[in-house]
Amino acid sequence: MSIAKSGLDPLFALVSHSVEVIETNFYKLPGSAVIARYVRESHRDDPGRTLLEVILIIFAIRTLLQSRTHGESQSKHFIKFDEHEIDELVHEWTPEPLAPALDATEQADLDAVSIISGPTGPKPKLNNGKTVLNLASYNFSGLSGNAEIKERCVEALRKFGLGSCGPPGFYGNQGVQIQAEQDIADFLGTEGAIMYAQAFSTISSVIPAFCKRGDIIVADRGVNFAIQKGLQISRCTVRWYDHNDMDSLEHVLQSVEKEHIKRKSPLTRRFIVTEGIFDQDGAMSDLPKLVELKLKYKYRIILDESLSFGSVGRTGRGLTELYNVPASQVDMLVGSAATGLVACGGFCAGSDVVVRHQRINGTAYVFSASMPPMMAVAASESINILRNTPSLMSTLQENVRAVRAILDKVDCITIPSHPASAIIHIKLGPSSVPAPPMTPMTPMTPASPSRHSKPTSVQPRDAPQFDATEEERLLQEIVEDALAQGVLITRAKRLRGQELIEVRPSIRLAVSAAMSRKDCEKAASVVKASCIKVLNKRR
Amino acid sequence: MALQSPSPHASIFGKKKKSSSPMPTAASYLSAVSEADARARAHGSTPNSTPALSLSSSVTSSSDETVLDEFGVDTNDVLSYPSTPPTSEQVFTTIHSEFGHCANESYRYTSQHRAGTPYKSYPEQDPPYYILLTTYLSYLMVICLGHIRDFFGRRFRAQNYKHLISQNGYAALNSDFDSFYTRRLKTRIDDCFSHPVTGVPGRTIVLLDRYSPDYNVTMVPTGTRTRGLNISSYNYLGFAQAKGPCADAVESSINRYGVSSCGSRLEGGTLDLHQQAEALVARFVGMEDSLISSMGFATNSTIIPALVSKGCLVISDEFNHASIRFGVRLSGANVRMFKHNDMASLESLLREVISQGQPKTHRPWKKILVIVEGLYSMEGTLANLPVIMELKKKYKFYLFVDEAHSIGALGPHGRGVADYFGLNPRSIDILMGTFTKSFGAAGGYITGSKALIDRIRVHGHSGCYAEAMSPPVLTQVIASMASIMGISPASEKASSSVLSLSKGEPSVTEMEKFPGTAPMTVLPSWMPVAPSMADGSDGYVRLRRLAFNTRYLNRGLRKLGFITYGCDDSPVVPLLLFNPGKMAVFSRLMRTRQIPIVVVVVAYPATPLVTSRVRFCLSAAHTKDDVDLVLTACDEIGDLLDLKQGSGDRWPLKEIIDRAVELVNMPELA
Repeated sequence: MSIAKSGLDPLFALVSHSVEVIETNFYKLPGSAVIARYVRESHRDDPGRTLLEVILIIFAIRTLLQSRTHGESQSKHFIKFDEHEIDELVHEWTPEPLAPALDATEQADLDAVSIISGPTGPKPKLNNGKTVLNLASYNFSGLSGNAEIKERCVEALRKFGLGSCGPPGFYGNQGVQIQAEQDIADFLGTEGAIMYAQAFSTISSVIPAFCKRGDIIVADRGVNFAIQKGLQISRCTVRWYDHNDMDSLEHVLQSVEKEHIKRKSPLTRRFIVTEGIFDQDGAMSDLPKLVELKLKYKYRIILDESLSFGSVGRTGRGLTELYNVPASQVDMLVGSAATGLVACGGFCAGSDVVVRHQRINGTAYVFSASMPPMMAVAASESINILRNTPSLMSTLQENVRAVRAILDKVDCITIPSHPASAIIHIKLGPSSVPAPPMTPMTPMTPASPSRHSKPTSVQPRDAPQFDATEEERLLQEIVEDALAQGVLITRAKRLRGQELIEVRPSIRLAVSAAMSRKDCEKAASVVKASCIKVLNKRR
Repeated sequence: MALQSPSPHASIFGKKKKSSSPMPTAASYLSAVSEADARARAHGSTPNSTPALSLSSSVTSSSDETVLDEFGVDTNDVLSYPSTPPTSEQVFTTIHSEFGHCANESYRYTSQHRAGTPYKSYPEQDPPYYILLTTYLSYLMVICLGHIRDFFGRRFRAQNYKHLISQNGYAALNSDFDSFYTRRLKTRIDDCFSHPVTGVPGRTIVLLDRYSPDYNVTMVPTGTRTRGLNISSYNYLGFAQAKGPCADAVESSINRYGVSSCGSRLEGGTLDLHQQAEALVARFVGMEDSLISSMGFATNSTIIPALVSKGCLVISDEFNHASIRFGVRLSGANVRMFKHNDMASLESLLREVISQGQPKTHRPWKKILVIVEGLYSMEGTLANLPVIMELKKKYKFYLFVDEAHSIGALGPHGRGVADYFGLNPRSIDILMGTFTKSFGAAGGYITGSKALIDRIRVHGHSGCYAEAMSPPVLTQVIASMASIMGISPASEKASSSVLSLSKGEPSVTEMEKFPGTAPMTVLPSWMPVAPSMADGSDGYVRLRRLAFNTRYLNRGLRKLGFITYGCDDSPVVPLLLFNPGKMAVFSRLMRTRQIPIVVVVVAYPATPLVTSRVRFCLSAAHTKDDVDLVLTACDEIGDLLDLKQGSGDRWPLKEIIDRAVELVNMPELA
């Protein structure tokens, strides 16, 4: 006993000594006496509180020490393995191949892609040496290969080099890019504009810059892929209205309003997202009606004019010019300098607040090198030409009418595109549609008595059934037949399985102002003949 | 300044006609270089020559070609004229302000990992506690001040807050809380960001001066310009040039092709140039096939979704670029992160995820894709590829290396991080990279096996929907790549299989030739080829100059006592500042020096909160004098701002400058 006691003695001595040292050092600190007195008094007044505070401190330390990311290991689904078992599991695991080889159709599709040898334009030469009429490339205004633009670009090259070598935040923005943004804003009549380096990435970056979790977006069911990706990234609540159907839009806006009132939810940002001319079928939005609804229900509108900017309106300003709606009514007007101005990149025009916001929050703007200065110069020059040459757009419209005049009469196809749209989609007509594959009949739910589709689901109430593979095969046959006759057209390529709604296959023609009327008629006749030939052969 | 008078416009366009004139042959160039070498050694370097001397030098060497001062900028002589006059034998074909003249052969180095040693970057040093404390304190202070200003501002200057509060039934576009950091912290130092520039972003860059009448809310251009030494553009190999073989090639391409390819790749936007460029890129990187995308950011954001989907796992380094995160989010795959470059953390994570399988269901993962960057643009660290390759063998994951910054900038042949470590590129599944940085172009590429690339062609977003890359950019890519690789005459046989995109498997002989030259057959027949491009001497010099500059600045800064991150051979050099206030001061002091230096400062959210930094990007276009200049400036400002917190052996500035070659060639920094 005494031995044990004597063994512990030095330990006690050490403890009491160190307590002493800590105490004296603590009192040496300035202000420590105050704290000590406070602690002592509070303990005297309320011992329970001391206990609570000690627990609080321990809890705070624990929280601080804990790793910030919990990981799986904390979840209840975690299974504990020992090292040996893990080794075995690792050994057993065989991953799927990274990229399975393409199947025969996909490979054939890829092989069938036409390659233009030399410059593109109304009459390009293909790599098999054949010169064809081009109804595939986006060259609405016909400015591809324009000599003035080329000259400006060479000047820019000799002044700035080619690349911008940096993002806009870090010395990547040359004076010319800022000038191009200003030119676009002036052209459209907005306070400002911001240019992205690629048209496709523009809208999928604009949407998440403004729309955050909890915000509401009302979108058309037929929006293009880039918008779909933007919606996906933004994580906000999306409500859908039927493709290009203003009644349906109003209905959805009303239902959102009702829901908002019912839930007494706080006011969040609300947007209508749609396209000017739709990529999937060439239909055109009714902009005046859209603006009316947006003002009535207090929404902001994000309008993708990638295909309408530079192709409709007296000087190619797009839908706003066509319908004579001031561009300032459209909160975010997104367009493509690649298709509309035959340069590269995309832009978003709007108020100063809108533009400024994107300069910090537009992911594809902030984290990407700015567009080559030469391309900005090309865009500025294109605007200059469009502004001064209204005949370009009138020629384009004449060409569109010429093509439509021939194709509208063909009864084995249907054309859903707007008569003024420079992209023309050709779908199989009702008479020549192959029967859809027999699907196990899903019982049609007669649950919703209204004629409207459910706004929360992207699927429309009665989605048309079609056999995409077979239709694509037929259309591809038409494309190849037309090519053999000397007209380059293309199927509208879609990522099957990745689009929110399967889009009915179509052939997409793009009319250009650079083509003579005669060539347009010739090309359209060839397309017509090919359609009739392929589709009638089947019947 | 009489110097600036030789007028610009006439000379630039005069050159257009001259461009076809024969370039000096490589042999004569090399002999000139070695001559100059000897001379420079004899003379030593005289840092500041008189303007008169410079003038005479430019007259003797290449008259108007040396000086391109079309902007009427108040040019600093040191930036526009070489400090050591070139001898009559030396012929410099570049403009000194764009691509510096440096003939001293000892200022060269080869970027290469020393075999047999493990990869290591500088240990991340912690600053003294008082620095950390003051950093936190200054953030705290600025945040408090911001809130106080907001509090009163909202009451007395409601006009300025209009866009932050909901009105007329519209919610505010920009929430008050979300924008606080931007409004109250970033705005204070906004003069250091988004500075508009003009001219070639080469060795020097011309700033369009501006001032702010209202504390950085609006910026007003003053109309004047300032030329500064550019150590901020991603111009690693110095291909940002308005003159030279690449620019000549681009010009002939504009005249031939115009500027647009009008459409997406699968819908009629594919030109023969695309195929030629893709064949060349594949050969450059050493992979079977490649696909080019018109934007670097979009390369990641549109291609990752074609590789992984639901049921797959992406393991991503915590410092991966925003485009990778964007792409992964779109793909729908699960994501896990590991600590930056921490291989132990990666391995334990791999063991965990493979043994656990998918969350809840515990089904095995379909695929695991590890995504790392070759060179991290904010850290200057390299992916630890040797270890990752070993882990890859053991854990059977697929590896995606984003070489946005490392391609061209690393490795003895400029083929990126695999080349640097001496690894076979084909042992990596996917190599992605951009053309913005080393090649002075734009856009990006992805390379891999033929099956993989074909799959991405069909299933990637960009093939169907995004515009194809424009012809001038493609030409810049082809020309700059070819001048790094050198061009082999047309007789080569194996090359044809690459070009024709045929179904045939690439032969073994082709593999052995990596890193090979660019076969003539792959290049467009109309492209003008300069001799220095054909023999690869141009690219060779660029690679070795970059490697020297890189190592010199990295080690010089360490020897001065600064805390820097990353690897010796990384052309991205982050110098740690810590305090947010020092960022602005550093940037302004550098910009307003007698010889202005243009730098990039970065802070939260691009970096962790406490580690604000300035980031230097070196280029082959810089000369040793330029790096001396940067070191001198850093030395002075570093003393002023108390930045020299690093441990280790220090040298005085003069010693560093004098013993530069020795410093660079030391195998290990003491």
